[in-house]
Amino acid sequence: MNHKNLLAILCCIVAALGFSGCYNDFDEADTKGYTVTATGIAEPNTTIYAVKAKYCANSSAAGTSANSSNFWTLVEADEIFEGVVVANDISGNLYQSVYLRELRPEAATEAERDQVLMLGIKSSCLYPYFKLGQRVRVNLKGLYVGVYSKAPKVGTPYFTSAGNNRLGPMLFDALRTNVQLIGEPNPDAPELQPIDLTDAKGQAWIKDSSNQTWQNCPILATVEGKMKEVQGMAAKNPEAGTEDTWEGVYEDIITFTNADGTTQYSKIYAPECLRDAGYCVDRTIQFANGSAVTLRTGTGNRISFLVMPFDSRKYTGMLTYYSGWQTVLRDADDIYPQIDPTIGTPDF
Amino acid sequence: MKKGTLLVATILAVASRASAQTPADSLAVDNADFTFTESQLDEDNDAQQTISAISSKKDPYLSEVGYAFSAVRFRVRGYDNLYSSSYLNGVNMNDLELGRFSYSMIGGMNDATRNKEGVGQMDYNLFGVTGLGGGDNINMRAGQYAAGNKLTLSGCNRNYTLRGQFTHATGFNRKGWAAAGMVGYRWADYNTAYIEGTFYNSFSYFLAVEKRWGDRHSLNLSTFGAPTERAQQGASTEEAYYLANSHYYNPNWGYQNGKKRNARVVHDFQPTAILTWDVKPSASQRLSTSLAYKYSMYSSSALSWGDNAADPRPDYYKNLPSSIFNIYNDNKNTHDYLDANPYLTDQFYQLTEFWQTERNRQIDWDRLYYINQQNAQNPQNSNGEALYYVERRHNDQQAWILNSTWSHSLNARHKYAVGAEVNHTKGMHYKTMDDLLGGNPITDIDKYASKDYGRYSSEAQNDLNNPNRIIGEGDRFGYNYNIYVNRAKAWANYQYSSSHWTAVAQGHIDGTGIAREGKMRNGRYANNSFGHDGQRDGNEARFLGGGLKASLTYSPNRNHSILLAASLSSNAPLARNAFVAPRDQNNFVDNLTNEDIFSAEAAYTFTAGKVTGKVGGYYTIFRHGVEQTAFYNDQQERFTYLTMTDVDRRHYGVEAAVSYSPDNHWTITALGTWSDAAYTNNPHAQISYDGLDAATNEKLNACTNPVTGAAEPLRVVADGMKVGSTPLAAVMLSVKYNINYWFFEVQGKYFDRAYLQFSQYRRLSSVLKSYAPSSFDADGNMVYDVTTAELEENGGILYNADGSYNASYSPKQEKFDGGFMLDASIGKSIRLKRGKTMSINLQAQNILNNTNLRTGGYEQNRDDFYNTGEEKAYQFSKNPKYYYANGFNFFLNIGLRF
Repeated sequence: MNHKNLLAILCCIVAALGFSGCYNDFDEADTKGYTVTATGIAEPNTTIYAVKAKYCANSSAAGTSANSSNFWTLVEADEIFEGVVVANDISGNLYQSVYLRELRPEAATEAERDQVLMLGIKSSCLYPYFKLGQRVRVNLKGLYVGVYSKAPKVGTPYFTSAGNNRLGPMLFDALRTNVQLIGEPNPDAPELQPIDLTDAKGQAWIKDSSNQTWQNCPILATVEGKMKEVQGMAAKNPEAGTEDTWEGVYEDIITFTNADGTTQYSKIYAPECLRDAGYCVDRTIQFANGSAVTLRTGTGNRISFLVMPFDSRKYTGMLTYYSGWQTVLRDADDIYPQIDPTIGTPDF
Repeated sequence: MKKGTLLVATILAVASRASAQTPADSLAVDNADFTFTESQLDEDNDAQQTISAISSKKDPYLSEVGYAFSAVRFRVRGYDNLYSSSYLNGVNMNDLELGRFSYSMIGGMNDATRNKEGVGQMDYNLFGVTGLGGGDNINMRAGQYAAGNKLTLSGCNRNYTLRGQFTHATGFNRKGWAAAGMVGYRWADYNTAYIEGTFYNSFSYFLAVEKRWGDRHSLNLSTFGAPTERAQQGASTEEAYYLANSHYYNPNWGYQNGKKRNARVVHDFQPTAILTWDVKPSASQRLSTSLAYKYSMYSSSALSWGDNAADPRPDYYKNLPSSIFNIYNDNKNTHDYLDANPYLTDQFYQLTEFWQTERNRQIDWDRLYYINQQNAQNPQNSNGEALYYVERRHNDQQAWILNSTWSHSLNARHKYAVGAEVNHTKGMHYKTMDDLLGGNPITDIDKYASKDYGRYSSEAQNDLNNPNRIIGEGDRFGYNYNIYVNRAKAWANYQYSSSHWTAVAQGHIDGTGIAREGKMRNGRYANNSFGHDGQRDGNEARFLGGGLKASLTYSPNRNHSILLAASLSSNAPLARNAFVAPRDQNNFVDNLTNEDIFSAEAAYTFTAGKVTGKVGGYYTIFRHGVEQTAFYNDQQERFTYLTMTDVDRRHYGVEAAVSYSPDNHWTITALGTWSDAAYTNNPHAQISYDGLDAATNEKLNACTNPVTGAAEPLRVVADGMKVGSTPLAAVMLSVKYNINYWFFEVQGKYFDRAYLQFSQYRRLSSVLKSYAPSSFDADGNMVYDVTTAELEENGGILYNADGSYNASYSPKQEKFDGGFMLDASIGKSIRLKRGKTMSINLQAQNILNNTNLRTGGYEQNRDDFYNTGEEKAYQFSKNPKYYYANGFNFFLNIGLRF
């Protein structure tokens, strides 16, 4: 037997076994300077207020008008404004959208001093790019501006799953040409300070339907109240959902055991069984003065499963109006005092 | 509207309706018997279908057809490879979980695996009763290798670029020892592989030692393995191919730091050892006993993402231009409609332009890192877990196989072989965190269940025994379970032969036990996921199987023979199909039964002067089969298992081969087949959506009768669907010429009747539209609000007025266009001094560089309508994913024996 050759083969085997399996190793990507957005947009030449006044105030002036609540216009010139991100999709409750707020204390009118506009962008998970406090510059050229269900918005038209023509999100790739991040996010930016509507004056403002104008839609605002659906006997009275929902759960009542052993009946903010065509559930925040706003929450996100408290809480969100005021929370900590997310869940 | 939008959209629409195939690295022709390269032989275990690798030298058709059409993924008679049996040193090495032999086990060992005996399913043999597809036995005993050395060097432009093999064998020495060894290496990097974005890095080894005592006893130990790391190609839609301007576009790779990186990388290593004791009491008797052990380590990586992170796959449908408006709708793909909605045109062009830049149509790894890093630093997120990561899905396996075979030639007319085999297989299935892509560790919860039940619910937990476990790189998470399969089998072959008659009888009986052992207590299945919880019959499902085969050959003279044969068998279901949702729970599939197979065939073999040939036909019926598909369900946005039981299929066809050799230099061969392989019923269906609990899944396993409103069990409307991704018709003409140790061959091949793999999900009775009669005509016949043409195109189920079943139609299955391929090879054997020889062979395949030959593909598991009934812009039914045969490719092989 030729031992030399066999020994050589054995050595090759040992060496090759050590060599194999290391072909696809990579160093961590160098993301310094990485961006998905534009880098050379010119200085602003307009304001959010001016944009809304021009494109969101009047359906008859719009390029396309599906109805008085949904209309839009293609912007053909370089109209550039800036705003600061005050809401994003971090919890999944807001979808394919970020909200930009512009404060101009030097402006002549009160309306011009504080304006918010929604950017619709066709992607989930926008929050790593658009952190709260991030200043953003937008060139509207080639984009559409108008209103979606009365809410001012920048985006592109599309057809909904019901076949309706509406102002939807812009393509994600449009960020490369139309949207620029300016500087670093500032978590202490004054734009992040919500308008306080918790006091009697604020509640009265909400009650006054004359405030339901494009100038006041949307706004970042805090309201305070109790959830109507869990007050008194309502906590034990289920709201029946449709029977063809995904989980096959038809009622929104949940029960859990308190520390003292008593059974607690309550409800969560957005059970699947009550979702509407927009995959959202409407609940009601009742104010001390008897007026109320709708709390609109998407299903399947980290706000949806929070157990609704019986007591009064502060809710900070994007306040808009359609038939009445409604607010959409940005994240679970927009409820204050915060709700323990493990209430009603197993103790692991 | 911009000019050309309509044109581009129309081209996309037409292109998508055109024809498709699977990439195949190709033929490695050596100076000995042909062998398949590993990629042809199911090395890519992810491929849904593979070619038939078994060949029988006795059969002029089978000896050529699999080789000739391997590039187009031809499967003999449309059979899956699981119906073929592969033996190594007499041990059946088919994987008990999957049913198939894993050719990657012997990948790159061409020079060590040449001693192969291939048999048809009805042939008498000494190693066992093979499956319907026949079988082969590779002899890897050390003593059977000719003493000497062999060096083989190869270059090609296929899955790999370079290959080297060195083989050394001693032959038996005077003390009765023999040894043989081989090492090999196959290589391609990102810049040289045929498919862009792939690489190949594979080592192979083989060692065998044999000791002979006298003439009666010998003991052999063979061990081998092929540690391999390779990147995969992904199928894509015709639209993506069109936009990338290549049928070899691969969405699996992208750039990271400017370097190519593939997301789907396979690690495969199956070290195996076989100890064989051969006893020859006499020249006519032989007892062979083997103990084999295999430890298989197979894993494949994949991109994954959590929470509401956007789908990072570049060919995700929302990234494609056709997601903007329905280009297949004749009312929308018009100038008037697009002029009225100019933003559709703008977006369509924007995405078209986007796609035509290479970086944009590949994975943006830098972006995934960027998002993870941004998320980790985001003050809004207290934990900032990685949103994107690469997970590695492991399918490891340990198998012990003990078998013994006794063969005896009683006299010139009678001989028999009997044997027994026990196989204990343990499959280990789990996934690990391969790369967090610069992000923070994640919590081991199910993202789908989190959306359905809440992040803090018990249902969200992947392992209630270790709730909220933090997962770093290398950690197991998601699922972790073992599958046990135990099988005992006894078999016998007998052959009688006389001057005119040959009769063969074969029989076997086997018992199979299947069990699952969960290593995690899944939150959705807390009571039937951990250990053997909830399993039936002492934790194991048991199946008794068996079969009989008989053939009779009449040969009135040496030149003519007629064969008649039939077989009947009942086989245990495969473990891979036996569980409702093996990643999650222990429950077995309902209606889990043996698959029964009846097969008959007849053949006439002849020699007439310089012409030899064979003409034959076969007819095979499969009953009560079980098939499971597991896929990411875009419709429900969750991983889904769909199992069909009581599956019936029918395969039949004719086969012919004729060869003409006018002299010692020329051989002209023609062969062909025309066949059919189709489903013949509407099987029961059981579906399991990941992330949902048992009660919810049970509710979803029903459809509603449109007349009575009653719930009915699910079925897949599969009647009439063809077995996909293999040509069912093929013809070949080959001309060979040899002179003075030169070899030339030209092959022209045409194939047709290949079909797209149909989506079972799209044909579920709960997904198809159901129709109740809307009225009655003057003759009292029921009238439905749908035409027969619409039913034949889109499928549907018709009910009678009383709610009873009337008829069902399966959505139309795409048939690929036929294709022609021209191959040629040239070779030369050279005798060198001192008995050394050198062989050179160059093979060129697809010389006409036809890059439009579809070899396979599959429909997407999603339908075209919203729940509102409104059609979606993107039409999934019009956008299957295809594979194409490689264009022009070559293989140069140089062998030196010394």
